[in-house]
Amino acid sequence: MLRDITLGQYYPVDSPVHRLDPRLKIILTFLYIIAVFLVGNLLFYLPVAAYLVFAARMAKLPAGMMLRSLRPMRILLVITFVLNLFFFSGTQELVRVGSVVIWREGLINALIFTFRLIFLVTGSSILTLTTAPVTLTDGLERLASPLKVIKFPAHEMAMMMTIALRFIPTLMEEADKIMKAQTARGADFETGNLLARARAMIPLLVPLFISAFRRAGDLAMAMEARCYHGGEGRTRLHKLQYGRRDALALVSMLALYLLILLPGWLS
Amino acid sequence: MPIVLEKVSHHYRSGPQVSVALEDISLTIHDGELLALIGHTGSGKSTLAQHLNGLLEPTSGRVLLNGEDINQKGAQRRALRFRVGLVFQYPEHQLFEETVFKDIAFGPKNMGLTGQEIEQRVRGAMAQVGLDFEEMKDRSPFELSGGQMRRVALAGVLAIQPSVLVLDEPTAGLDPRARDYLLEDIRRLNREGTTVVMISHAMDDVARLATRVAVLEKGRLVMQGSVLEIFSQQERLAAMGLDIPAGFKLARRLREAGLDMADHAQPEEIADALAAAIRGGGGSAA
Repeated sequence: MLRDITLGQYYPVDSPVHRLDPRLKIILTFLYIIAVFLVGNLLFYLPVAAYLVFAARMAKLPAGMMLRSLRPMRILLVITFVLNLFFFSGTQELVRVGSVVIWREGLINALIFTFRLIFLVTGSSILTLTTAPVTLTDGLERLASPLKVIKFPAHEMAMMMTIALRFIPTLMEEADKIMKAQTARGADFETGNLLARARAMIPLLVPLFISAFRRAGDLAMAMEARCYHGGEGRTRLHKLQYGRRDALALVSMLALYLLILLPGWLS
Repeated sequence: MPIVLEKVSHHYRSGPQVSVALEDISLTIHDGELLALIGHTGSGKSTLAQHLNGLLEPTSGRVLLNGEDINQKGAQRRALRFRVGLVFQYPEHQLFEETVFKDIAFGPKNMGLTGQEIEQRVRGAMAQVGLDFEEMKDRSPFELSGGQMRRVALAGVLAIQPSVLVLDEPTAGLDPRARDYLLEDIRRLNREGTTVVMISHAMDDVARLATRVAVLEKGRLVMQGSVLEIFSQQERLAAMGLDIPAGFKLARRLREAGLDMADHAQPEEIADALAAAIRGGGGSAA
């Protein structure tokens, strides 16, 4: 039952986008999100959309994969579209049914806001689809390390995230096993009202927590045995290094900015 | 209450990949026997065990308990689990209650029993695994030793009073003394009438206890027979990465050394045979 849940959505293929430096990918994602907000005109969404398609193609991501990242958003998308469509009043009437009027500005606004959401979600999903979680936390740590000056524990944060990610599958497996073992003793996880079901989780949660604490203790011990003492003076096996590929990716993003900003400057 | 597996296959699906855990297994577990399931890691032993009480459903094939398909529509799954008890590997990791008593009572409570019946069952189960009721009932299961925790967990399943007991590596990780106690408990349970299926890597334990042995390899049932029949085929077992019990190794070495020595299941029998051989070989020494 727990087996069906997949965590993280990393799509493991080899592509130029996958091989980009994670730091740059995080920065590019932010730049892209800013670009999406800068655009307030339907026409300029064309280059924004084109960039998304381009990035997805370069990353060898199937279209279905991208659309799937929108699935949890579908209700929000519909609500956004409908609210903007009906409750935005303008000057140019498109359709009138009884007292309900759809204005031209309303339609445009509805489209802009809906597309904005779509681009935001799919755009950032390219980051998580093409970057393995551990690489991602590595990138985050490096990006956040300047904040160490103000005592922000960048290394510790990244280490915690990495460990948490590492143990998710282990704990899922453990939960599955405990669930089966309690089921074998007649535990019933699937029927009854909310309260009964919450109660039924106790035989699952108590052993799971105990095992999580035991594992945490073991891991801490193992890390200390190998002289782990935080991030200070720690060197890396895989050094992050910007390369030509990263420069090209940055240039492509700048090109997108030029496309959406230049017309405004010129006029 | 015999369990019959008819051409049972089980396939795991992970994404687009299908991996075969069990393939075409036909096996009968007879009343009162102590069947040992052996096989290399990943051979499908634990998957097979979970089919015996319906925790897993076969992809194809049927599992019959007393002639009834346990996976057919409308089958009483929960009632089934009270007839076939399954003790997982490291069962002490599933303890969760505040006291030993409450933990062991979890199964009987799920059966819908009431106060006095529950206490009777808990007492009985604790006696079966050699735990003193008065001394242990109010202690927290988490302050016990590893061996005691394992017994509490085993008692938790025994309290259900299943007619078939399935044990997945019951002695893994126990110290030798706790292991001997536990094996003795299992043997006694079996003698008292509980059918036992035991998964084990410890071939010495298997030789000691089993009345029949089934060998799994890569999800297939490749051999089944008595302890003598199985362990006398050392080459075949070695090819599957399986060891033979110490007694069989000894007999083999003695044969290689030129002694006339047959295989025996129990160490005591080997000792007797060896003594006889030495006496016989020594001629007038005695």
